[in-house]
Parts: sequence; C-alpha cells; structure tokens
Amino acid sequence: MIQRMSHATIFVTDQNQALEFYRDKLGFRVHTDAMVGPDFRWLTMCTNDDPHFEIILMEPKPGMLMDEETSNTVRSLLAKGVLGAGVFNTSDCRATYEEMKAKGVQFISEPAERPYGIEAVFRDNSGNWFSLTQPTGAS
Amino acid sequence: MLEDVETLERLARARDFIDHCYDHPLSLDQISEKACFSRYHFLRLFRQAFNITPHQYLIERRIEKAKELLRTDRDVTVTDVCFEVGFQSLGSFSSLFHKCVGHAPITYREKARETEAAKRQVPGCFIVMYKLESV
Repeated sequence: MIQRMSHATIFVTDQNQALEFYRDKLGFRVHTDAMVGPDFRWLTMCTNDDPHFEIILMEPKPGMLMDEETSNTVRSLLAKGVLGAGVFNTSDCRATYEEMKAKGVQFISEPAERPYGIEAVFRDNSGNWFSLTQPTGAS
Repeated sequence: MLEDVETLERLARARDFIDHCYDHPLSLDQISEKACFSRYHFLRLFRQAFNITPHQYLIERRIEKAKELLRTDRDVTVTDVCFEVGFQSLGSFSSLFHKCVGHAPITYREKARETEAAKRQVPGCFIVMYKLESV
C-alpha cells in the first residue's frame, strides 16, 4: 500500500538560480546536492517542517532522460508559464504572502477565501506556478 | 549503406567474436576469418557497416570493460585491469585510456568512486531514467 509521497520533480531552467530562489525566497533548505558524473546534479530541497518530502529541482537537458526536442519543449512550457507544480500549505496565507511579496516573489493572485481555505498563487523563478494555501482550520 | 543481409550477418559474426574474445590478443586475420572475408575486403566492409574499424571496435570494447572493472572492483590494480581486458602493455593501455576517457585510469577510478558515493543518494529509478548506470 502506498503511504506517502517522498519525492517530486520540479523542472527548473537553472539549478543554481532555483536553489537560491527556493532557499532565500521560499525558505526551503537543501536536502541533498550531489553530482553523479559530470552532467547530472541531484539537487533536492525540503521545508524545515518536513524533511521527508523532497522536491527535486531538475534541469531539462538533452542527452539523458530527454532528447533535445523534448528538453526544448519543457523549457518552452516553463517559459509560457503553463506548468503548475503543486500546492504548498501554510498556517497563515496572508502573512506568508506579505513575506514572500516583500522578497520579490511574483504572485498571480492575491490571498482569497476559497471553500477549502485561503489561497494565493505564485510563480517560482522558472515559471512554475504554485498554490499557497492555508487550509480551513489550519491557523 | 550496406544492405546485403548475408554480408551483414557475416560481419556481425566477426563483431560478436570481438565481443567474446576481446580479452585475448586478436589479429585482423583472426577476426576476418570469422566472417570468411580476406582481411582488406573485411576491413573495408566492416567500416562501411559499423562506421568504425575492427581495431577501433576492439579498443573501445576493452576500454569499456576496463572502466567497468575500475568502477566496480575495489581491490583491482590498474596493471591487473590492463592485462585482464587484453592489452599487452601498461604504457599503451594508459595512453589509450586517457585518449578515450579523458583521464588516466587511476584518476578515472577516483572520480568513479566519488560518483558511486553520490549515486547511493539518488533513487534507482532516476539512475535508470536518466541513463546514469554507466556514468
């Protein structure tokens, strides 16, 4: 039986820039950063509250998983801003929104009441969009 | 482009022979014999079919095997590897290895060990999907 998700891939345009963004603007920390051979960097990050869920920051690059056309396609999708990578939870959406906005994070929508809680939507610096949700009853 | 099936089969037989016996000293005569062609005719056809000479193919095969031994066998010495994969001289092995791989065998092994340690931190499915098994 599946119990939980431990890793999820987020494609990013540049691993160094993504690392800085997730660390400095979203408050993540590096879980693992290891080079496997000259071209593959295994870079995962997690929140302080949940070190057992790692997001894998992966660059679409030709030559390994993807051919050149596929990697270009993923990069175009990132640039178009159509890739939504998931939902992050917070115990205070409005306060986290203010903090992140002050750090320069781009929001697509401001905190708003939803049937399931308070939700804002932001983008990372690669173009992925995320929901920032304070679930009802979380504060 | 070679299209004659019988010729291709004979060439493939000679290539299989290299794959099986790369660790022995092999001459062009021995290899071409497996395909029943004269050596010069064989050389030309082989290159046409596989885009590589039989000798280069043999060297590649040996270097690949040497890389594998250096990566996986902790106690093996570079000299052991050299003879085990069919080279007759340590000097020519080292310089060919450097030319093909970009590092001396000993440096390759050090790097490979670092890589193996890094690999142990990555889920196996990523190793497979990103074709990192032989990195």
